Order: sequence, then structure tokens, then C-alpha cells
Amino acid sequence: MTENLETIISVIAETEKAFFYRLSNAATRDDLEEIRIEYLSRKGKVQSLFSLIGKVDGVDRPKIGAELNRVKKAVQDAIDEKQKSFQRTGKAIEFFDPTLPGRTVSIGSLHPLMQVMDEVKQIFVGMGFRIEEGDEIETDYHNFEALNIPKHHPSRDMQDTFYLSDEYVLRTHTSPVQIHTMEDQKPPIRMIAPGRCFRKDTPDATHSPTFHQVEGLCVDRGVSFADLKGVVLAFAQKLFGKDVKVRFRPSFFPFTEPSAEYDFSCIFCKGQGCRVCKDTGWLEISGAGMVDPAVFGFVDYDPDVYSGYAFGMGIERIAMLKYQVNDIRIFYENDLRFLKQF
Amino acid sequence: MKVTLNWLKEFVDFSLSATQVADALTMAGLEVEEVYTLERNFSRVVVGKIVKSQKHPDADHLSLCRVDIGGNILPIVCGAPNAYEGLKAPLALDGSVLLNDLKVETQKIRGFESQGMLCSEAELGLSERSEQLMELTADAEVGKELGQYLGEPDIVFDINVTPNRPDCLSVIGIAREIAAMTGSSLKKPELNITAIPDAIEKYMTVDIKDEERCFRYSGRYLRDITIKPAPFWMALRLHAVGIRSINNVVDVTNYVMMEVGQPLHAFDYRLLEGKKVIVRAAEAGERFTTLDGQEHELDQDSLLICDGVKPVALAGVMGGLNSEVQPDTNTVFLESAYFEPTNIRRTAKKLDLSTESSRRFERGIDPNGTIYAMNRAASLMVDLAGGHVVGDAIDNYPQKVTPVEIDLSVHQSNVWLGVSLKKEQIAEILSSIELSVEQKNGDTLRAIVPTFRPDLTRPIDLVEEIARLYGYDNIEPNVAPRIDQLQEANPRVLFRDFVRQTVSGMGFRETCNLSLIHKKFGHEFLPQKTGFVELLNPLSEDLGVFRPNMIVSLLTSVAYNRNRQMHDMRLFEIGNVAWKEDGRSVKTEKTQIAGILAGHRQENAWYGKAKEFDFYDIKGVVEGLLAKTGIEKFEQESAHDVFWDAESSKVIVDGKSCGAFGKITDDVLTLFKIKTNDLFAFYFDFDKLFENCRKEKIYNPVPRFPSVPFDLAILINVNVSAGSLEKEIWKSGGENLVDVHLFDYYKGEQVEAGKKSVAFSLTFSSKERTLSDDEIENVIDQILAHLSGQFGAQLRDR
Repeated sequence: MTENLETIISVIAETEKAFFYRLSNAATRDDLEEIRIEYLSRKGKVQSLFSLIGKVDGVDRPKIGAELNRVKKAVQDAIDEKQKSFQRTGKAIEFFDPTLPGRTVSIGSLHPLMQVMDEVKQIFVGMGFRIEEGDEIETDYHNFEALNIPKHHPSRDMQDTFYLSDEYVLRTHTSPVQIHTMEDQKPPIRMIAPGRCFRKDTPDATHSPTFHQVEGLCVDRGVSFADLKGVVLAFAQKLFGKDVKVRFRPSFFPFTEPSAEYDFSCIFCKGQGCRVCKDTGWLEISGAGMVDPAVFGFVDYDPDVYSGYAFGMGIERIAMLKYQVNDIRIFYENDLRFLKQF
Repeated sequence: MKVTLNWLKEFVDFSLSATQVADALTMAGLEVEEVYTLERNFSRVVVGKIVKSQKHPDADHLSLCRVDIGGNILPIVCGAPNAYEGLKAPLALDGSVLLNDLKVETQKIRGFESQGMLCSEAELGLSERSEQLMELTADAEVGKELGQYLGEPDIVFDINVTPNRPDCLSVIGIAREIAAMTGSSLKKPELNITAIPDAIEKYMTVDIKDEERCFRYSGRYLRDITIKPAPFWMALRLHAVGIRSINNVVDVTNYVMMEVGQPLHAFDYRLLEGKKVIVRAAEAGERFTTLDGQEHELDQDSLLICDGVKPVALAGVMGGLNSEVQPDTNTVFLESAYFEPTNIRRTAKKLDLSTESSRRFERGIDPNGTIYAMNRAASLMVDLAGGHVVGDAIDNYPQKVTPVEIDLSVHQSNVWLGVSLKKEQIAEILSSIELSVEQKNGDTLRAIVPTFRPDLTRPIDLVEEIARLYGYDNIEPNVAPRIDQLQEANPRVLFRDFVRQTVSGMGFRETCNLSLIHKKFGHEFLPQKTGFVELLNPLSEDLGVFRPNMIVSLLTSVAYNRNRQMHDMRLFEIGNVAWKEDGRSVKTEKTQIAGILAGHRQENAWYGKAKEFDFYDIKGVVEGLLAKTGIEKFEQESAHDVFWDAESSKVIVDGKSCGAFGKITDDVLTLFKIKTNDLFAFYFDFDKLFENCRKEKIYNPVPRFPSVPFDLAILINVNVSAGSLEKEIWKSGGENLVDVHLFDYYKGEQVEAGKKSVAFSLTFSSKERTLSDDEIENVIDQILAHLSGQFGAQLRDR
């Protein structure tokens, strides 16, 4: 006895219709999962329809088979699609407003001067320099005398110093770190000393009694002025780009000889001359030179064996150029409206 | 140091433009800070000749002049003392404009018409001399524009001369540099002094008592001098280089100082007693009045020039008021000496009396140049003051300074500079600045350094000269890295940057404050039994002491922002602090990190009301920071530091206090004029964190067996601290207890009076196996028994 073909077709149609009704009411992922199990599992409603194939005449079987496969695919596709829609929205709600402001996350930041300092440090670390640190309160010996700046010498006038006593000063540069390092280590030395310095300068747009420097030192056999020019050039180009040029001008510092002031070609006008570089095409950066053999005398290095170079730079100066800040004092005010910009 | 183009051209021939000169000097180490043309503040001024001059009938000081301006004779009323007939002087015509926009118009002066104004140099902006009419030379063409008569205005170079180059504090010194740069030679005029033959000892003898400080003392005696204003050309040059014109004799001493670099002094010979000069140390407490009218109290560090009776000059710094050249004198004694540099500097510093003279002596002038300078001045005085030089020069030179000889290895020089110059090239460079060079055998050069270059004493000093004159630009940068020099990272620096990143990652903004503060802000923050590190010479009291704690800096920043309507902030800074232990001079300097929370954790928002920060916010930051640095556990102890409120705690790691956190007291907030009491802060001794931080990270295997959570709520007396409960749970929880998390804390109606409920979520886990329920039950019983024994705790519900 075979069932009527039409009856079986209508059972299949009922099942499909029921499925789509159930699906339309599914509001959550759990609902959907329940429906999927109900219809598509091995003992599910769609699968059990396949047993009906045996109940029709052989000639009709392919027809029923095809119909069942169509329904099975339709159910599967519908479930998949619904699944996708849940993946996008999680669950269905009336109106979701994605334009409400998000929950505030407190944002921190690093100080712009320190960001520049970090960048400078990174460039030199990349060139194999070790970062050394030192105290801000220094002995007169380390800040001056061991750097070939004797007491009662006109070169002391080059820096206005805060004194704590005859013996102690607030360091006027980070050069004393070089002395400490050379006292503690033998060459090769390749170091930078970033840090805070103090000079008795009345605060104005370009002076601050507290400021930051990075000084570098390299001592080894056969270190030359050409090496110094190379390192400063590499630094300039890493900081401000490949087309920056460096100019060395003769100058005087008691702890270096030959001494130089070095300039970068103006980063604003590319050396053409503008307001910032006062039409010179050059920006004055800082000083450098070959370590004076007299300094080696203080740290017991043999000047006939070793030579070295040293260079310095002011972090505020670079930060002012980089961020186009025209008053140094704003760095020390710590106005949130300023800090937030970095 | 200022020099003018025309002045330089007297000593060296060159065809460079002023801009080229400035660039060349700058690139040779003499930084030209400014180049400018001497200003002339006049228009419509012509050469006039006074053809008639008579006194005003009613005003003695006024003259009624008739002035010829070439074809036209104008009536002019003039108040100058030298408006005599025959004088050629500048006449500003009706409608001309002079210095300071002074307009000249035809007007009546005391009843007489004046169709213009006869001018002084000051009125024309040519010098400061205002007492009398500018006197033009006899050959001045009447009626000619004054500008044409004067010729092209001179150009001034303002040069920043570094302390190592005393020789360049002179026109000749700078001319020598230009000569070296341009390949020309210095023209130094020969001087011929014609003296009236006489024995100089009859007039003056010099006795140097302190030969350590006065190496050389030269002098000349001149008579028949007439003191009057210096000629215009000299006044103009002195004006251009920033020196006031006084009179012909004094101006000559200054002019020659600027020209050759040797400070000179002219004494009024009549005022020197005993016909002697004695150079000696001052006595302690000795008083002396310099010619600026200042009286100084001296000590033995200062050197005095004395006559037979009294001190007459502060050696090398300034002459005395008592021997200044008087307008009516006709005899002068001229001093040209060499004083020891350090001593001059010490005196000038001590007396706060820096002069053109002291600036040169303290840097070191040429000890062998005293005679040349003196003779140059004497011959100018003869020319300009009509005097006669009498007898020989006095020259007392006990400490003879001879030229230094330096041997230089060409190879060494090339290694230092990274160039490959030939011996001949180096010899040529050194010769160009007047060093005598002998080529010795092989690699060596010997240079004999003239005494006007005291900065050149060692081979490296010559190397600098070689580099400078060869041109720094011509030394090719070497960018090949030296791998054998590369260094390792510094762990303390890495840690510092790690901490900065961590704290900024917790929403804090890094600040950068001055290290110096006003005392009043720091008192509360000094550790017990310490004092401030004070500056001897502060800029002001506001920046008088070193900060003793980083929180002072952060409070300064909070106050600054609160004054600008910014209320909520999280700030941090790492920096150095310092103090002085009581009774000791040794300073303690430490690096600290501090953070501060001010105002609200959260503003009013659609998802919740504003919430103020509280103690547990700052504690959370401290816990987070410590955990991040690998310090998992710390002990708490009440913080005695006075700037903390009751809500405070020290942080003890391994038995040592390494910082503290808590609420800032109202007293401190009042000091900083902060009006709310919602500030919480922490600080750590940075190096203690560094000591205790995790240095290496080693993997701790993740448990492979499931962990078992267990919630435990207990009732306990209110005064038992959560921290002590947690500690005891850990003690009694056995080896499989891996986490204790306090999730509920309740006091109130639901529990009996005097008690509170504290609930912990405990997690158990074993590395070897899955834990059974029985095992967990046993441990919980054990914990409860322990807590009950320790604190009388009861289980609340299970």
C-alpha cells in the first residue's frame, strides 16, 4: 500500500510552513538553536520526512526526493541567514542609538618635552649609545673643574650657576655625567646623558631656570672629528628627515677642542630663509667638539691613546621647533589644555 | 666686541662685502651676531661756515651768527660755546629733521630770527657729544650736503668673542683673522716716537712690589698737552664701538685699547705725588674710590697702583678718582702694563666691576705688546693734544714671557680630525696666523706661538686652529658605525620609561614642573629631621629651595589648572627631590614618582551620575602600578607623614617602606589655594621600586586542570580589617588556594549591630589533578575554623 503522492507532498509543505512560522518568531540565538535541533537534527522533523520516500511508488520517489532536498536546503539556508542576522545585532530591539557618547575612558599622556626626550634617546640607543644618569645636585668639581673649567676662569661666565655652597651646585649641564661615567668605566665609552639642568636665567620666552639636555660622549682609540660630524648628521636626519643638512661652526667650550656650534638647515624653509631662521637658512642647535685632553687628565685616560667626541643639545629647543611652540614657559605650566594636545 | 669695516681696512686689504666678512668670521669661530650700518639721523643738513658771530644783547650764552651755506648767508641763533667766526659746522636748514624726530624750522629766538640750527654731533646722532658744535675740517666744502662730506657711513660688526680668544678683543686681532682667511697680510704700522731727550727718572720711577701679579709695567711721560675734545673721526669710531668720548687724552687710551687690545691708563701727572709708581697688593680693609665715584673696600687679593703716597688706580680694572685727567692739565703719565689674569678676574668679580680693561686683562693680553700700544697712544696724543714725549719709555718687566714652542705630529692631527692633510698644508695654515713653523724630521712640525695667543699651548690647540682655518665644512662626516663601540641598555632607564608608560596608560597625564619651589609649599613635605636644600643665589624666593617631594609639584599643577576652571585631572611626574639631614651638609637626592587624582573619576553622563575620587581610587592605582612592576604583595601601615589625612597608608615591600598614598590634608590644600578636599595622591621612592621590581620574566605554567570557585561570606566584628581577614584566609587556605577576591562588604540592617558581612570569592586549583568537592569542603572548614579562632568569625550563609 502506498500513500498518495499528493498527501505526502502536502505533509512536506505543512512542515515547511510550520518551520518558517516558528523561525519568524525566533527572537534569540537560543530560540534559533532550539528550532535548528527540532528540524535539522538527525531525528528532526525534516530528516524524518525522508522516511516517507519508501512509502511512494518507485516512479515517484525521485520527485519526492528532489522536493525533500529542496526543503532541507531552504530550512538550512533560512537558519543560516537568521544566524547571521543575530551575529550582527545580538538580539532584536526596537531602536538602538549608536550615536550616544561612549563611556569615558581616562586618557593619559606623556609630557611633550619627555616625548622629545624619548625620541632623542631612542635615536641614540639605535646608534649603540648607552643612557647614563646622574644627580642634579653636583659637586663643583664634577660640574666645572673636571671639565677644565677652573675656578676664577672667564669661561665660568658662560653659564650662570645656582650655588648651594662652595662645594655644591645645581648642575648647569649634564656633562658631569660624562665625568662620572669615565671615572667608573674604561673605553670604549659610547653614552648619552639625558637630564634636567639648571641655570640662573630669569624666565622669559626662551629661558627657563630649569631645562633639559641630552649630551653624548664617545671615547675610544682613533675617534675623530669626522666621526662626530657623522653622528650629529645621522641624528639630525633621523629626527627631522633625510634632507636636513648640518653645519659646524668653530666655537669654544673649555671641555672640548676643537669645539663647534652646530646648526641644522631650517626645517621650515628647507634652508631658503624664513622668519624662524631669521633668513639665515640655519637653526642653531647646540655645541659639540672633541674631548679636550685636559678632561682625560682628570679621569685618568691616556690622551695619547684615546680620543673622543662630545655633543650636547637642548630638548626644549628641539621641542619648540618640532611643535612650533614659541614660549618655553608653557612647557612648565602644565596647563591641561596644552598637555591634552600631545 | 664691536669693530667697524673702515677700521679693519686700515690693517688689512680685502675686497669682501660686509656680509661676506660676517659669514667668513662666523665660520672661523668669531660669531658675528649683528652687522649694521651706522645710523645717521638727519636730513637737509649742510656744511655751514660761521662768517660772523656776536653776542646776543640780552642773553650771554647765545650768539647771533651769520652762516654761509654757499651763495647764501643765513641768520642763525646759536647757544653753543664754540660758535666762533671761521668755524665750519653742520647747519640744519629750515624743514630738516634730526635725531628723535626733532624738526628744525625758522623761528624767533629771544627776538632774533634763526633760519636753521647749527648742530652738535649728538643732535645728528653721530656721537654722544652734545656740549658744542660739531667742528668740521677746514677743507669741508661750504654748502655741501653733510652726508656727502662724511662719505659712506661705516658698517659695524658685533662679534661674540669666546673667552679663549683675548687677541680678538681688538681691531688688529680681527684684521689678522681676515688676513689669514683671505690670504693677505696684516698691515701693522711702524711707530716712530720723537722724544725730548731727558732722563725719565727725573720724572718717574716704577717699583713693582708684587711681581707675581704684575709681570710688566711700562710707562711714558708727556708734557705740553692741551686737553680738548677728540677729533670727530675718533669720537665717531668710539661711538660706533660703544665707547663714550671724554676728551682727546682719554679717548686716545680707549681708541688704542680697541685697536690693539692693550688697556691703557692716563694719569694726570700733576696729581701723582713723589714721582713714583708703586705696584702693590692692597691691604685688608683699605678703601679706594674709582673714577666712577664708587668707593670700594679692598682685601689683599686686589692689586693697587700707587704713587709715592696713596693708591691711584685699581690695577687692571679702573683708575682712581684722585688722579683722573683734569681739563686743565698739561702733563700726563701713560700706563701700559700686564697683570696676571686670574687676579684681575677675582677683583672684578668681587667688586662687581667689570670694565673693558678688566675683560681684556682677565682673558690674557699680549705681555710683549705693552710698548707698541703705549707708543701708538703716545704718538696719537702728540698729534691730537699737541704734546711732547719726554725721555725714554719706562719698562719694568720682571716676569719675561717667551713664545711657546709646540711640536705637532701631522699623523696625530689627521687622526683627531679624520682628514689627511699634508705637512705643507698644515704649515701654511699655521703660518697664516703668524705662528713660525719649522718643519722637523718626519712627521713632526714645530710651531712657535706669538705671545698674543695665550690659548695655544698644546698640540690639540694647534689642531683646533688647523680645523678652523681648513674649514669645518671641509671635514667629511664619517657615518660608518663602529660596531665594537656599541653599548648595552641601562635597565634603570628602561624601568623608568616602563613606569611612565604604565602610569600614563592608567589615564594619567605626565607633567613637567620646575624643581625649585618656594619654601612655604615644602615645609609639610620634608621628611622628619631634615631641612631644605637651599640655593645661595636664587633668582627669587619663589624658586629658593629644591622640592622635597614630587607631590608638591603635582599640587602646583592642580592649583594652576583649578585657577583656569579645569577641575578633574589625573597627573603624574617622575623627578628628583632633595633634602638635607639635620646638622649635616650632605644632601640626599632621590628620584620619586608621584601621581595625583583631583576631582571626579567620572563626569555626569547619560549612563551615570558624576562620582568623586576616593581613597580606593588611589589605592587601585597603587595596586595596579605595583602589580605591573611585578610586586604582587605589599603590606600597609598607617602613614605618619603629616600631609596625609586619616585616609592614608604606607606601602611596605619586603619590610621596607617605599612610598605612601592617601588623601591630602586641608591644611596643605589651603596652602596651595585649592578649595576642594578631593585630592588623593601617591608617591614612591623610584629606586626602591626598581630594586623590588621583577627583573626577569619566567613562565609559570597555566593550570591544566579546571579551577573550582567557592564563595564564602562571613560575619565578623566591624573593627576587623579586610586586609587581616584576607591574610588569614591565605594562611589557612592550603596550597591549592590560588585567588582571594573580596566581592561584598556590608554593614547595616541585614546584619546584627557591631558586625559586618564580608564575602570572598575563593578559587582553588591544583597543578596535578581535578579537585574533588570533598577536598574543597575540607579546606573551607579549615579556613572557617581558623577565622573563627582568630577573629570569632561566623559563616553567614552557604
